[in-house]
Amino acid sequence: MATRLMFENSCEVGVFSKLTNAYCLVAIGGSESFYSTFEAELADVFPVVKTSIGGTRIIGRLCAGNKNGLLLPHTTTDQELQHLRNSLPDQVVVQRIEERLSALGNCIACNDHVALTHTDLDRETEEMIADVLGVEVFRQTIAGNILVGSYCSFSNRGGLVHPHTSIEDLDELSTLLQVPLVAGTVNRGSEVIAAGLTVNDWTAFCGSDTTATELSVIESVFKLREAQPSALVDEMRKSLIDSYV
Amino acid sequence: MPRGPTRDKRRTYKSKDQKGFPLSSKDKGIPKHTLEGKSDLSGSSEEEGSEGVVQADFVFFDPKPDDFHGVKILLQTYLDDTQWDLSGFVDLILAQTTVGTVVKMEGDDDDTPFSIVTALNLGRYKDHKCIKELKEFLLKVCQEKDVIRDLRLLMGEQAHDVGLLVSQRVVNLPPQLLPPLHDALFDEVSWATEDEPTAELRNSFRFKCYLLVSKIYKKNNRNLIRRSGSDGGDGIVYIKPEDENFHKLSLWSFSFPMHAQQVETQEASNIVVCFFWF
Repeated sequence: MATRLMFENSCEVGVFSKLTNAYCLVAIGGSESFYSTFEAELADVFPVVKTSIGGTRIIGRLCAGNKNGLLLPHTTTDQELQHLRNSLPDQVVVQRIEERLSALGNCIACNDHVALTHTDLDRETEEMIADVLGVEVFRQTIAGNILVGSYCSFSNRGGLVHPHTSIEDLDELSTLLQVPLVAGTVNRGSEVIAAGLTVNDWTAFCGSDTTATELSVIESVFKLREAQPSALVDEMRKSLIDSYV
Repeated sequence: MPRGPTRDKRRTYKSKDQKGFPLSSKDKGIPKHTLEGKSDLSGSSEEEGSEGVVQADFVFFDPKPDDFHGVKILLQTYLDDTQWDLSGFVDLILAQTTVGTVVKMEGDDDDTPFSIVTALNLGRYKDHKCIKELKEFLLKVCQEKDVIRDLRLLMGEQAHDVGLLVSQRVVNLPPQLLPPLHDALFDEVSWATEDEPTAELRNSFRFKCYLLVSKIYKKNNRNLIRRSGSDGGDGIVYIKPEDENFHKLSLWSFSFPMHAQQVETQEASNIVVCFFWF
């Protein structure tokens, strides 16, 4: 299910949080309601960790990660690095990388299998991504924008990209990523998808300006509605029951 | 000054007014408008002069719904860091096309607003969630007893006579734009008292007083470092120069410390001041 929320009057939830299938990072300093909205959805599944990166709150745009690992920019302090290593599950590899383009969240978009990266990323960084995150890396642009991490957001089940992406690009990306993609907006027409939305395989959080139409597109492309237990049973019923007497 | 329907009003004012905008070299009597270097906000539409001088033309528009994102960013810290219905507030401003101005740059593809100026009748919009939250917030932060009584009156019984003056802009907007911008606002208010279709609407623009919420810097007592000429004598630094004039003219005002920004230099606390004047 998709939840609408705000961080201190800003609807850019994807800037102040990072959600994956194994953990969730949240910026410090927001109101308690921001943190508790995440906790309410996720606390019984995995840790919701409060952190800063390089002393800033824009953690969603500075780091990139999935269930296998987390990549941090060189601006991360030692204390922050240690805090994250301690708080995250053991199977998540936390790595700080030396990359000139330090806003990793803007440069890298990934799920658990594939990553799209900024075209100017170092070769070394690309190898690190493949290694730490356990993904296949593709250098791509989205609707002519090199900041792929900002203009698209995808999980293992679907993805949302910049509204001006052409049909051909959509098809090409969809083949690369092996998930269905839809071009759309978030937060009442904002094109910066990843800033307004953070998503994993069963839940999504978006800014409170997001209209009902945008929300329904998000829920349908990321298949969040089917993440209800009842939906699963309905699907199974057809195969379990042969005929009604 | 001719007063056509709302849409044309903007155009007529622009071409007839020799004193103001668009500020470009063809205007008589106005020196060529120069902006030093700080052009990151404007994007790609200026030409760079030989001394790093940038020329820019600004255009005044009526508010329209497409300006939502830009105006929202400008008003982000309007009520400090309180969580309130800012989106609703911006919608209210943009819906009022008769009074209100959005400043944009000519030929800018991005169409980003550089400034928003408007006056909202507190009584007309009193049922909107954002206005209720705004009133609650101001009543909550007002620490001065003599002012709070007046403030409560303003927000309550006298609300239909009060105009909330909203004026926000990017920090480096050229000051030459300010006189025509404010003239435009007050002109529009007086035109609205005659041009609006219903009597109720016409009356809603007969403001007896204005309320202004704005950000200033106040010097901390413990800091004795002085910057020459930059303070208003009583230790206040006005971010927007017209605020100093408004403050002098105001009947009363109060200030309260902000939480949203922590500045660690001489002016250690940013304070928001609320004015009132006739």
